[in-house]
Amino acid sequence: MSTQVPKQEAFRRAVEKTTHLVSYFLLAILAVTFLLPLYWMFTGSFKLQTVTMALPPEIFPSHPTLENWTLLFTGPWPIWRWVLNSVVVSLLTVLLVLVVSSLTGYGFGKKKFPGSNVLFIILLSTMFLPNQVMLIPLFLLVRWMHLTATTIGTYFAMAMPMISSPFGIFMVKQFCSSIPDELLDAARIDGASEWELFTKIMLPLLKPALAALAIFTFNQAWNYFMWHMVIAQDLLQFTIPVGVSVISRTPAAGKMITNIGLVMAGGSFGAFFMIVFFIAFQQYFIKGITFGAVKG
Amino acid sequence: MNKFRTLAREFRKALPGYLFIAPGYLAFIAFMLVPILFAISLSFYKASFDISARQFVGFAQYIQLSKDPIFKTALINTIEYALVIVPATIFISLVIALLIEPLGAKSQAFFRGAFYIPGVAGGVVLSVVYLWIFNPTYGLLNYLLGLVNIKPILWLATPPHSFQAVCAVVLTFTIGQPIILFLAGLAGISQDILDAATVDGASSWQKALHIRLPLLRPVLLFVLATQTIQVFQLWEVIYMITGGGPYNTSTSLVYLIFQTAFVGSNYGKASAIGVVLMVIILIFTAVQLRFWKDTDI
Repeated sequence: MSTQVPKQEAFRRAVEKTTHLVSYFLLAILAVTFLLPLYWMFTGSFKLQTVTMALPPEIFPSHPTLENWTLLFTGPWPIWRWVLNSVVVSLLTVLLVLVVSSLTGYGFGKKKFPGSNVLFIILLSTMFLPNQVMLIPLFLLVRWMHLTATTIGTYFAMAMPMISSPFGIFMVKQFCSSIPDELLDAARIDGASEWELFTKIMLPLLKPALAALAIFTFNQAWNYFMWHMVIAQDLLQFTIPVGVSVISRTPAAGKMITNIGLVMAGGSFGAFFMIVFFIAFQQYFIKGITFGAVKG
Repeated sequence: MNKFRTLAREFRKALPGYLFIAPGYLAFIAFMLVPILFAISLSFYKASFDISARQFVGFAQYIQLSKDPIFKTALINTIEYALVIVPATIFISLVIALLIEPLGAKSQAFFRGAFYIPGVAGGVVLSVVYLWIFNPTYGLLNYLLGLVNIKPILWLATPPHSFQAVCAVVLTFTIGQPIILFLAGLAGISQDILDAATVDGASSWQKALHIRLPLLRPVLLFVLATQTIQVFQLWEVIYMITGGGPYNTSTSLVYLIFQTAFVGSNYGKASAIGVVLMVIILIFTAVQLRFWKDTDI
């Protein structure tokens, strides 16, 4: 009996170790498969045009060149302007979404007023609607107001469809409901005004939820390709995704086909910012994704 | 008089609530509700570039759509995309999540991040490299297939393949989110239940099938709903790699909306297609909510 237990234990551990090894092996294969396109793009950006079209393909560039990157940075494309545009549009969207979601979510989560249920249900029912439907009227509105005539107007137009985020409002409302009323009542007895209740009690508690919402919104706004393309009228108004798509459609000088290496450099440049952003804020991404879907 | 005073008091009590929701709700009305209602009304008008010259045509555009072969293809394709991509996404991400789950915290974080990265890079960036990978003469895919003696395939120019190509590109970036959700769901399953099953002699596959999967049901339904709605709105990969072709075999409803509205300036017809898509998504969501009611989520 006394030898039986350690033996079983050793066997269990051996099984666990092998399953882990098998898991690592399978996961490595899967990860390589799914990350291969990004690897191919990045290494492709260091290949000459003749190499990108060579057979068999070079798995690793044997004669890496910076030609594509030089062309990307010194060519006719104002890529740093595109980065600036993307950053400003995404930050503006985040700012507006945070203000709207925190105020409105708090109102729905902690205040009682006639009609609140109906108003909230109307809001919620639009959460899953395809946003392409409303882009047509919004586009007509932008055109009618000549918003794209100015840079600031263009930025606002690009942020417009995301401002009233039903998801953000819903998220804040749920979060507010989980905070006990006694906390607010105590502050109210101490003489805090309604506004102070919100800014001094609620906002600090909401911080983690808002941080997740901010990170999530930033990524979404950055990749809102269709709308950016509809709004951007000229080269200086492009955001990064629009710029990358246009580079990928422009033939190399004097040729019928695109310069593959240059396109890969453009793609890598476009992907770089969001990947770094994701690695820096991974925890917030995960909070934003799992919110609402998984209890606890 | 008394009644008036209670009414006034009620109002004063309710006022902060209205004031707090006002900015957000007004933005919601201006930038979502009114646009949606306006799009629905536009679908009953013939409206092109000069929107003020629009003409009321009733249901004419819907009737035209029902006879439009391109619209029919787009509608069927959209459903087919969902039927292919959603189950594939759920299956792959569930297997990956089950593989990741027993590992240590650091390895978990590493793989979770690795599979999510294509998603943050975005559909445009991925499409750009896939255009090269799918190239029939010097693309990586045909080269790899050539190693196992498969003849070169014109991925983006022949009917079933362009559809498959779009599905493949989309799959590279849809699995990241479900993996994170499944891992969170798996972490929520109590160790006691699994230990009890181990004592009863259940194998790890039995545990996965009979304990983990049923307990993951709420998360599964959530993933199913969000993924389906996302795939219903599939557009940018099609725009980037196939342009809907060849012969509209890889087009989708949203691609058709985009082309009709922003390339063809036919806002009335595009809105009508949008309304059809909206109705499909509403029906789907209503069916989903039925299922959700049974699980406590």
